[in-house]
Amino acid sequence: MTQFPQPATRATAKLVIAGGFGVGKTTAIGAVSDITPLRTEEVLTTQSTATDSLRGIEDKTTTTVAFDFGRVGWDVPDPVELYLFGTPGQPRFWSFWHDLSEGALGAVVLADTRRLESSFPAADFFEQLGLPFVIAINRFPGTTPRTAVEIREAFDVDEQVPLMFCDARNADSVAGVLITLVQHIANTKSANSALLDA
Amino acid sequence: MNSPTGQDSLEAEALDDTATIVRLYAVTDGRTRARHHLALHTVLGPGRRSPRPGLAEESVRIVELCGQRHRPLAELAGTLALPVTAVSVLVSDLIDAGALAFPIPDRRSEDSDLQLLHAITAGLKRRHPNATAKAG
Repeated sequence: MTQFPQPATRATAKLVIAGGFGVGKTTAIGAVSDITPLRTEEVLTTQSTATDSLRGIEDKTTTTVAFDFGRVGWDVPDPVELYLFGTPGQPRFWSFWHDLSEGALGAVVLADTRRLESSFPAADFFEQLGLPFVIAINRFPGTTPRTAVEIREAFDVDEQVPLMFCDARNADSVAGVLITLVQHIANTKSANSALLDA
Repeated sequence: MNSPTGQDSLEAEALDDTATIVRLYAVTDGRTRARHHLALHTVLGPGRRSPRPGLAEESVRIVELCGQRHRPLAELAGTLALPVTAVSVLVSDLIDAGALAFPIPDRRSEDSDLQLLHAITAGLKRRHPNATAKAG
């Protein structure tokens, strides 16, 4: 077996990219990932709402959900491997969103000004989970510009939550979003520990 | 993929549930539960023992992939185009057989978290000198 250099000492970190259908999550992951984003499937078993409840039969339904996986790694200045998980559009299967977010440091809620509301459930989810997140508006060509103030009002999130515009196709732009997120996570952690020390 | 009409690869078409489930049962002999708790981001590397002969093709591939570099469960599943549940069952068996191992202890403190966050920022800035972060 060929032995490749082992990035054994790389610390790993997980970030989640969420948002409604078609907002550019896969594109954003692909822009910064070292590998082409992998589309990965999971099988969920759910208790279907019983149409047969009168007969006492509880049907189990099996559903397949898919998510994106990408990674980016480096060895200088410090060895890190960053895992990027793209969620399925709607948090219809909450348990799976929990699985995706398990162990994550934070999340990006990606949104499109043409249908901002499709990304509201993602923002609500991370707010309830207490996971630090930022909102990134993917600028699609030819869309009516909306101001950050309007968008923030529509999302109705805490004013601490950073909100920015980006181009999901552009690596530097996506990297900027990730840097903003990581700085926001660090700020949140420092603020929390300051509260505990007080 | 970059189409503004939004072709997120993961949702562009309805998934073929039946095909996925058939593949799941075919590779795991009908088992759907792994003995080890494996998260999607659990990183796996080679174990100390060589895999025994006669392993399923998928298991051989998993050992090969983890021998090349450490990989998280989600990446193994995506690379093999198998459901995560199926890969978890196979990986669990391989861990028990000593052919795979968890190379990185999953211990974290507040301090190491902050160090990690700074390391991520520094690494991303180095790779993308033109990236601009929004303050606060």
